[in-house]
Amino acid sequence: MKIFDPHIHMTSRTTDDYSAMAQNGILVIVEPSFWLGQPRTNVGSFIDYFNSLLGWERFRASQFGIRHFCTIGLNPKEANNPRLAEEVLSLLPRYLQKDGVVAVGEIGYDDQTDAEERIFARQLELAMEMDLPVLVHTPHRDKKRGTIRSLDLIRSVGFPEERALIDHNTEETLPLVLDTGCWAGHTIYPHTKMDEVRMVKLVKEYGSERILINSAADWGISDPLKVPKTTDLMLESGITLQTIRTIVWDNPAHFFSQSRRLDLAGIDTRPSIDQTEFYGGSTVLRGGQTPVVET
Amino acid sequence: MIDFLTRILRARASSRGWNWFQAACRRTDIPVDLNWLLGNYAGASLRLGKRALNLEPEETRRWNSLSPDLPLDHWGLDELGRAILLLRIAHLPPDEYSETVLECYRQGDSREQQSWLRGINLLPQRSRFLDAAVDACRTNIVPLLEAIACENPYPAAHFPELNFNQMVLKSLFNGIRMDRILGLESRFNPELSRMADDYASEREAAGRDVPPDIWWVVAPRIAPERIGRIYPYLQQGNSRHRYWAARALGYARDERSRAQLEQRRTVESDDRVLAAIDASLAKMVQ
Repeated sequence: MKIFDPHIHMTSRTTDDYSAMAQNGILVIVEPSFWLGQPRTNVGSFIDYFNSLLGWERFRASQFGIRHFCTIGLNPKEANNPRLAEEVLSLLPRYLQKDGVVAVGEIGYDDQTDAEERIFARQLELAMEMDLPVLVHTPHRDKKRGTIRSLDLIRSVGFPEERALIDHNTEETLPLVLDTGCWAGHTIYPHTKMDEVRMVKLVKEYGSERILINSAADWGISDPLKVPKTTDLMLESGITLQTIRTIVWDNPAHFFSQSRRLDLAGIDTRPSIDQTEFYGGSTVLRGGQTPVVET
Repeated sequence: MIDFLTRILRARASSRGWNWFQAACRRTDIPVDLNWLLGNYAGASLRLGKRALNLEPEETRRWNSLSPDLPLDHWGLDELGRAILLLRIAHLPPDEYSETVLECYRQGDSREQQSWLRGINLLPQRSRFLDAAVDACRTNIVPLLEAIACENPYPAAHFPELNFNQMVLKSLFNGIRMDRILGLESRFNPELSRMADDYASEREAAGRDVPPDIWWVVAPRIAPERIGRIYPYLQQGNSRHRYWAARALGYARDERSRAQLEQRRTVESDDRVLAAIDASLAKMVQ
């Protein structure tokens, strides 16, 4: 089955992960910009990070036959550094106009401070100006309240709900999101957030409309194969192929195609691999390895 | 204070470590060279080691008379050395002083930042370090979170309510025991109880275990009609759940909660839980 993982942080993963993902049917991924596990101290670190998402990482994915798109934004944690936040916001308009940027994100709340709310609102407005959808991170702590506040803010700035993907949902937040016009993402993690068994239960209860799943695999304990693994469990649990296809392909494809930078017909087939290619003088191959070349 | 702390360090440092430290201290006289200070701040672990201070009873008595709210026992030698270095540059003009101290945090590795978060309790103008201390709570490195959240009086004394509540929630997330947060009881507030209550509900909805001591944070300011959600935990197989549910219900003032505790008392076999039930029943009478 064709799989689209709409949220995965590949900069933290290895080429083994890319191989395994390709073997398990993952054709397209979206890599949201986020926090690196510790705070950045200057705006140059953001420039380099955004450039690597758009450059080297997309190239790396292509070497395994995976199409890589990204979202660009200022994450909520670092929104709390006032000087840095302003400098990063001033970079965004130019980065949001680059090829393969399919949304503004991850944006939203973390500690739910006033500074986070201001930066969240400004990025919603920026997304409207740039005609882009948004990927909204919901907080780990005080999640239900944070989700309600996110939905309220989207409504109060007049952001079109069908262009907002609210991520990291749980049993308690999913119905709140579905009550709006927003889309609902679910991060399938080994221990926290949501697991495969709970996700199957949610799909049985709520169906597939506006529902997405992702692995959000990053530098923490996570698994880049969580979308195919959840797909398998859904099949075994008697969920129909059509429902599964809607969740792991049609929904993410339709949501991000609203950016008009992701061509639905174009992503349907796996691009051919040519590992003899170089990116800025670098290759994913090491000495003595035989490049894969498909014609 | 600085003399007392220096004596504690001297009694524990190796002779090479002590010589290094004396040289480092001489570098804290005017003018302070920032690069030297940052180098010595970093080098303290290498030169002094990380062994815990483990104060002698007499030292503990003396320390408690100087600074009753700040536990020192678990500090490493390097951490004490770093704190003394920062105390010794307090002669700088206020703005230069706080900027210099902050630079030690910004350029610090994880251990240096942990030392810093403990050490600021000793420094003058410590409220100037609030933003950095709050920012430290956003870390994903648990020992760093513990350095600010645990055995540290700074958050209860200085954090605004929102930041304090977030720190407590993050500690619950990371399996940190609530009794390690100094001054927690003095900062109980309805929003914190509501947040902890919601977190417990989220875990329950996901079919996951809740931290046993969460009820101690939920109960004090919970809406009265919600107190009954704690009762099932009084009957749990795990005695830690029963213990904390019993302690938490000491905050209730209603007859139903009293009846729940009294009923449990007739069947409870764990001595620790029984003691918690008795303490809570006594508290209800007051």
